[in-house]
Amino acid sequence: MPTTTPLPPTSHESAPLSASLAPCRSSRFSPPLLAGGGSALLVGYLSLIVLIPIAALISHGLSISVATHGAGLAFWRWHVLIGLKTFWSAVTASGAKEAIVLSLWLSLSVAAINSIMGVAIAWVLVRDKFIGKGLIEASIDLPFALPTIVAGVLLLAIYGVDSPIHVDLFETWMGLMLALLFVTLPFSVRAVQPVLASLDLESEDAARTLGAGGVRTFFTVVFPSLWPAVLGGFGLAFARAIGEFGSISLIAGGVGRTTVASNYIYNLTQGFLWTNAAAVSTALLVLSLVVLITTNVLSSRYQKRTL
Amino acid sequence: MSISLKHLSKRYGETHAVDDVNAEIRHGSLTAILGPSGSGKSTLLKLISGLERPDEGTVEIDGADVTSVDTRHRDIGFCFQSYAPFRHMNVAKNIGFGLKVRKRPASDIDKRVKELLALVKLEGKENNYPAQLSGGERQRMALARALAIEPRVLLLDEPFGALDAVVRLELRQWLKELHHQLPVTTVLVTHDQQEAMEVADQLIVMRSGRVVQSGNPLALYESPATSFVHEFLGPSTIFGGVVTRPHDLELVAVHHAEVKGRITKIVSLGFEAQVTVELNDGTTTWVQLSRNEISTMGLRVALLVGVRRRDDADA
Amino acid sequence: MKDSHRWALRSVVLIYLGILVGLPVVFMVIKAFSHGFPAFWNEITQPDALSALKLSLEVAAIAVPINTAVGVGAAILIARHNFVGKRFLDVIFDVPVAVSPVIIGVALVLAYSRVGWFGAPLAHWGINVLFSPLGIVFATAAVSLPYVLRSIVPVLYELGMDQEHAARTLGAGRLRIFWSVTLPAIRWAVLYGVTLTIARTLGEFGAVLVVSGNISGKTQTLPIYIFDSWDQRFDTLGTYSGALVLALLSMVALAVLALLRRRERKLRVDLA
Repeated sequence: MPTTTPLPPTSHESAPLSASLAPCRSSRFSPPLLAGGGSALLVGYLSLIVLIPIAALISHGLSISVATHGAGLAFWRWHVLIGLKTFWSAVTASGAKEAIVLSLWLSLSVAAINSIMGVAIAWVLVRDKFIGKGLIEASIDLPFALPTIVAGVLLLAIYGVDSPIHVDLFETWMGLMLALLFVTLPFSVRAVQPVLASLDLESEDAARTLGAGGVRTFFTVVFPSLWPAVLGGFGLAFARAIGEFGSISLIAGGVGRTTVASNYIYNLTQGFLWTNAAAVSTALLVLSLVVLITTNVLSSRYQKRTL
Repeated sequence: MSISLKHLSKRYGETHAVDDVNAEIRHGSLTAILGPSGSGKSTLLKLISGLERPDEGTVEIDGADVTSVDTRHRDIGFCFQSYAPFRHMNVAKNIGFGLKVRKRPASDIDKRVKELLALVKLEGKENNYPAQLSGGERQRMALARALAIEPRVLLLDEPFGALDAVVRLELRQWLKELHHQLPVTTVLVTHDQQEAMEVADQLIVMRSGRVVQSGNPLALYESPATSFVHEFLGPSTIFGGVVTRPHDLELVAVHHAEVKGRITKIVSLGFEAQVTVELNDGTTTWVQLSRNEISTMGLRVALLVGVRRRDDADA
Repeated sequence: MKDSHRWALRSVVLIYLGILVGLPVVFMVIKAFSHGFPAFWNEITQPDALSALKLSLEVAAIAVPINTAVGVGAAILIARHNFVGKRFLDVIFDVPVAVSPVIIGVALVLAYSRVGWFGAPLAHWGINVLFSPLGIVFATAAVSLPYVLRSIVPVLYELGMDQEHAARTLGAGRLRIFWSVTLPAIRWAVLYGVTLTIARTLGEFGAVLVVSGNISGKTQTLPIYIFDSWDQRFDTLGTYSGALVLALLSMVALAVLALLRRRERKLRVDLA
């Protein structure tokens, strides 16, 4: 199951993860700590922090129960029941449906917009030269390093109820969009930037000598090499957007039209409705994993490696 | 320290990187393992060093079986094509690393490092970092580092491969002189036959994981066992059904030779020229001549000539 | 590229970034100091604010070293070894970033609290994960898991094993090889990963919110405190001030990251 790298800020490297699993000969000279005990500790820690919680989540979300018939714990006597009905009713409950749909189309739009703007910004960063470019380079990383709640406060400062520029986006979809555009920006830019930087300028020059204009050159020469990276960035931005919580929790206001899926889940936890929360969480998990894996597989398959 | 390789084999998946290799490397010699890429020569070197373990066979150093001895106890020096410098240590610390591991006192290490810096002509660079050195300097540092521990055997894996032509030639000569000064048993892996011929006093030619021929370089050049060796060690052409050296052929007036043909191409290479001749029986051969011979005989394309071996001249 | 095109592109980009990033930053600073510096200072030295900061730092002090050690260990496993399940190990590290923090919080609750699997037995031994600092540590460690690993693995691959082999031929043992050769070679990458981990740890919100129960003074980290100021107490000055402090901390992290990136780029060029 190929996965993605979640680290956009290194502008000189953003290869998809399947590249990082390049085959290697086993080294006989690695530190001994890793044999036996160390590995066990590692596996134990990862189980504790990731595996067990996710298993618990899915188990509760799908209302999985294991019953044994007859005496004894032999596994062929286990009977695994999956409560799909419970799952489905939680996911289609009023409020849930709307929240999921809202998250879905918001994330798709935001990922799309930032994919386009990401290319534009990466272009300016890679191909253009002007004073203050360094500042822009640094500001791209800001949404990534900034705590999400601070991002939420930031956006509220200017687009909130007492907005200094009299733009009130409190409890509006536009407000949510701005928040999501903000936090997913680095993913889109950093996915494209290194690929753009490593493109062979000569093919574009060749196109120009053959009479192609700027726009035509872009679509026929540049874009074919770029689109796998753009797609990868789209997947990352989507996954980030659909799960985003901190930055939109403030501008979303109370429960209503602007409740996204993550907010809805949080509200469920406040009401101690854990099974419902687990169900909707599982649905969201599957959704983001599907998009992430699809975009990653497609993008790594078509990514032309420059040597 | 002599090295004895017996029935060495190493497989990676389905392919035999090294296939039943037997070889004897004389004490104090400078042996070159020569072959095209993929011939298994680097793998063979790694087997000698212990960085790889064979699937079958034994490695003996000075009569003792070291096949199951770990690399760090084999007392070998190894130089990599990438130089493998310890980037975060300066030149002095790089060279002294092996001695530090052996817990020699600091003053001893300093002394030895100074000696080695002089030997490889890197005096004054002891505080530089590898990033500040040229490719040739880095390799010399790597050599000093390997020699510091006074190894029984020195192994060099395409040490000059990443350098440009001029530096490569210089370092080749320098290595040969170094070997005169310090006759450590040295094994050099290379794909460059000129390098092997120039530097080595013993040659092992490999192909597809097997040893094709081994022995004295000149002997291999003059009496190659197979056409592969013939072609690999020097220029080759086919004449009279036999693989021949182009400079062993000559062109004469048509009626002075049995084999006749027409010149189809003359390529001038400075003081030499390669003349391609299409023979009457339909085959093509080429002859290496000096510029003098070309002008003296008035050779030009489409001329009819006779081709014969030079040592047939006085027949 | 035609000049007019270039200026058009530049303008579009600058306007976009200005609206998205520039404006909010400027205005937050204004809002925080809207009542002058003394008021700002007063806000951020409130006892609740200070204990929130303290808790954030304590949690970071636990989660960061653990994730660093785990990251380095797993990186060596992935970059220097082949084994069954290597891909799976790799995937696990991606989960925390691909998944919403709220979902991670819910997952942790369903695993370790009384509502979930192990809550009852754990409580029996006196361990309370929900509504306690321990739960916050769990949540924070979970969301900041992969950053050190992802920083180191590409560097280990690129480094190759030649240096380690060279050290071996010179007689070094495995521990020495790790300490003298491998670790120094990856130190900037480790530092980069650690900085990212710290930034993530200090800023984590969603997962901690779900797990901690948000009890003021006891289980509030700084981000929770900021949220609380807005959501519960409508204390706008408190919100903006706290946010500014956190923002400043992340700016420092950003600056460190930029510096490290430049240094690493220089190293690469030198040894090309």
